[in-house]
Amino acid sequence: MSQTPQLKCGIEIHQRLDTGKLFCRCPSVLAVDEAPDQIIIRNLRASESEMGELDRAARLEQEKQLDFEYDLFKKDCCLVEEDEEPPHPIDNVALLVVLGICTQLNMRIVDQIHIMRKIVVDGSNTSGFQRTALVATDGYMETSQGKVGIDAVAIEEESAGIIETKKSGMKHYRLDRLGIPLIELATSPDIVSGEHCREVAEKIGMILRATGKAARGLGTIRQDVNISIPEGARVEIKGVQDLKLIPKIVEIEVNRQKAILEILKKLKEVPAEENPRIVDLSRIFSNTSSSFINRGLLAGQRVMGFVLAGHKGILGTEIQPGKRYGTELADYAKTAGLKGIIHSDENLLDYGIREEESSKMQEELKAKEEDAFVIVLAEEGQGRMALARVAERASLREIPGQTRKVNPDGTSSYMRPLPGKARMYPETDIHAIEVTEGLLDEARKHIGEGLEAKQKKLEELLNPEMAKRMLKSRHLKTFEKLIGMGVEPMLAATTLEDTIVALRREGVEIKHLDKTMEGLFSHYLNGEFVKSAIIEILPEMAEGIPVEEVLKNRQLHKISGEELKKLILEHNKNMGEIMKNYRLRVDAKEVKELIKTL
Amino acid sequence: MKLKRVKLHKKGITYEGFILPQSNDKTIVLKLENGYNIGLSKEGTSIEELGEVEVLQQAAEVSQKIGDIAILSMGGTVCSRVEYKTGAVFPSTNPADLLRNLPELEKITSFHTKSLFAMLSEDMSPQHWAIAAEAVKSEIEQGVKGVVILHGTDTMHYSSAALSYMLQDTPVPVVFVGAQRSPDRPSTDARLNILNAAYLAKEGPIAEVGVCMHATTNDTYCYYHRGTKVRKMHTSARAAFRSINSLPLAKADFSKEEIKPLRSYHERGGQLKFNNAINGNVALIYSHPGLKPKLVDSLAEYDGVVFAGTGLGHVATNAFNAPNVLSVLPEIKALSDSGIPVVMASQCIYGRVNLNIYTAGRLLQDAGVIGSGADWTPEAAYAKLCWVLGHEKDPKKVAAEMMMPIAGEISSKSGIEEVD
Repeated sequence: MSQTPQLKCGIEIHQRLDTGKLFCRCPSVLAVDEAPDQIIIRNLRASESEMGELDRAARLEQEKQLDFEYDLFKKDCCLVEEDEEPPHPIDNVALLVVLGICTQLNMRIVDQIHIMRKIVVDGSNTSGFQRTALVATDGYMETSQGKVGIDAVAIEEESAGIIETKKSGMKHYRLDRLGIPLIELATSPDIVSGEHCREVAEKIGMILRATGKAARGLGTIRQDVNISIPEGARVEIKGVQDLKLIPKIVEIEVNRQKAILEILKKLKEVPAEENPRIVDLSRIFSNTSSSFINRGLLAGQRVMGFVLAGHKGILGTEIQPGKRYGTELADYAKTAGLKGIIHSDENLLDYGIREEESSKMQEELKAKEEDAFVIVLAEEGQGRMALARVAERASLREIPGQTRKVNPDGTSSYMRPLPGKARMYPETDIHAIEVTEGLLDEARKHIGEGLEAKQKKLEELLNPEMAKRMLKSRHLKTFEKLIGMGVEPMLAATTLEDTIVALRREGVEIKHLDKTMEGLFSHYLNGEFVKSAIIEILPEMAEGIPVEEVLKNRQLHKISGEELKKLILEHNKNMGEIMKNYRLRVDAKEVKELIKTL
Repeated sequence: MKLKRVKLHKKGITYEGFILPQSNDKTIVLKLENGYNIGLSKEGTSIEELGEVEVLQQAAEVSQKIGDIAILSMGGTVCSRVEYKTGAVFPSTNPADLLRNLPELEKITSFHTKSLFAMLSEDMSPQHWAIAAEAVKSEIEQGVKGVVILHGTDTMHYSSAALSYMLQDTPVPVVFVGAQRSPDRPSTDARLNILNAAYLAKEGPIAEVGVCMHATTNDTYCYYHRGTKVRKMHTSARAAFRSINSLPLAKADFSKEEIKPLRSYHERGGQLKFNNAINGNVALIYSHPGLKPKLVDSLAEYDGVVFAGTGLGHVATNAFNAPNVLSVLPEIKALSDSGIPVVMASQCIYGRVNLNIYTAGRLLQDAGVIGSGADWTPEAAYAKLCWVLGHEKDPKKVAAEMMMPIAGEISSKSGIEEVD
């Protein structure tokens, strides 16, 4: 693996747990494609933390002062999600699962768990905070590059899912997801490369799934990657879904920080200007041929801008594939609700801005040859706020710590500052939880043997390739159940991993896989049909037809014993002939053995 | 408050942070750098002190020039803060703490604040009502356009009823307001409730003692409820306060500068009739199956008794002389005969007391029970009896005054319209 010198990289994983909700007794299911039973409207305010400071990220959101809308589903929401009732005690199963995972990761579990309120005023929690608790610290896991520390494991509640941000700025959420338990796991910055980061993420995912209590499906696990290089800053890249993308994400972020360091070298002599003079340039465009500027002006928007001294050429410097330093600044304007900025390192003709308009702007802004400028088209208040944020970012002479959002191509965009540490205060509605030896014993029993034991067992049961696949499989739990019933391991594994996939390609989707498999194999173990008939039976079971009927309708009952003897004799003991005609009804091994006896 | 900054060494691991006051003999509660609190048992832990840090700055003093409205604080969640010693929510004595979080308030009205009590409303007694009424009176005399009273929600409807009797014909609005979610939470309902209360006090046409709280679960508008006709009907929801047997006085939405009256009301400019004499020696008893005569008998130590009776206003009377049936009728009659007024309300909450329908009711009337025909809530009836007994001792006059509507607590007509 290639290593980036002095790269600091850690990963944070959020995994939903397949238990009841954390602080109420609603089920952890999503109301997919259902219409809400009610929509409620709320307003949130940032409040003070117990240390008397207002968190930076919270303050940024507060500036927006938004109302929020929430879809409510009676099936999986109650007054707790609505923030109309205090939380109930913590879900015991979720707590046991998290404690159990901590024991497997060699962690130091706290003696008393304190539930905290983590302030989140973007509307994703009706209360304005997410309930979270630090459960353990100072653990580690083994990897190909040595030990990677696990700094912290927390248990917390999932946020509400966003549906849309309306044109008015109002965000619309759904409450079915709110309150589902999450385990949050953060590694130390011990990861040495992008590939290593991927390995760690994969292994943690497998450890979590091996408990059998990890939720499966889209969005049930989220990875955030923390990256910094010497002289750079900690940047948290959120929303990594595809583990294969991790090496690329790390590489792009390292290069982004390096590129900005280069820019900062060039800006060394340029004084930082936090509050530049913002100039209204609308007059210049009174006869513009730029249709979008014209439209904006007619709608009452203004063209405003400011000078960035000594920045000529810098805004056009590429810092991520296809993204320039100007894009970085534009991301800050976007946090004020704008679509972006226009800057002088761009070809302004592309915007329909004529050369004389450009030079007039330069003149009004008093921009010198070596300067650059940034303009926006927006309603005045919003435009000023956007420009102020751009100016603040441009005035930094160091790489800022940031929370960024990953893009599908592995690049990232600025979201918000890193949350400060003042964002927590105690959840006063829930007592502290004492972690006793008894509780830990229960937790160990609850989550079973752990990943390594599981791996060993699978290697004993299956061939090496299938054992590897099964360990990562979403059907592991079903597999274990079938093995428990007495099904041959390879048959269970190939049915779950190959047959199901083959059928899906043909458009056959088996909805209740676990139940279907249990039904199928209980008949199989009764000797009612042979292995090769499985692929014929399953599509009909998918239609809801019981096994007995499928066997009857399709004449798939197993032929064996006396009946098979008769058949063999009828076919003059010709194995090939028999298999050709009765492949779906006879067991080759039995045929072979009977031929010998007859 | 000062917090100790420490390094805790335990089994080879070092935790750094602040020691929080909820620590005790066995456990140290530590606030870590990352903001989390954790508890560590003291056993096997060594502490390395790193110094002290001052936390929680006091709110800047709010200017106390006389404003258009007065904001009086009687405590409760609405003026609470997190109390770190126990980790619980605790009332604050400083209204400025609250107002610091409400910069919009100044846009609605100028104001001054006064802290009367810092207490949870379940701890209040009728004497507190008298003090509050006195404070409101002196604000009215100072010429304010309205009074807002911050109050705990548990007994706010008792206080609002009591002040309705004490401050009859108030010339300005007297608006009680509370919160079901404390102001330290981003989702607090205090903001909407207080801003609407201030708007009603400053701009509203309705000069009554009332309660302003969320109308629905949405943070959109509030209802202004008549002080004698309102009751807390939910333990935790925002829209806990409901007008009982009445429409709310008005819908209030400061953001739209809207106050929409929903029923007839007293206009501004009345001549205050003030009387805050109170007798707190009154009992309010919830009737139930198996209520023992002994308990009713023991009520003789009170100066008045209110029953929240079953149904139309009943307690066990054994009207048909069945065997093995308890009756408290003789004890009630004994109370009444000894000059202790016995007043009936209904635990149904909605509907009117009627002691003419069943034999039991008639027997209770014969025994001297007051209240047939009243559509009051048990709490409004209770506050009224405390107030009437504050200035009247003659049982006959007490009975007559109890049945005379004085602040909307009894209405002659049972309306059929309702709001959500």
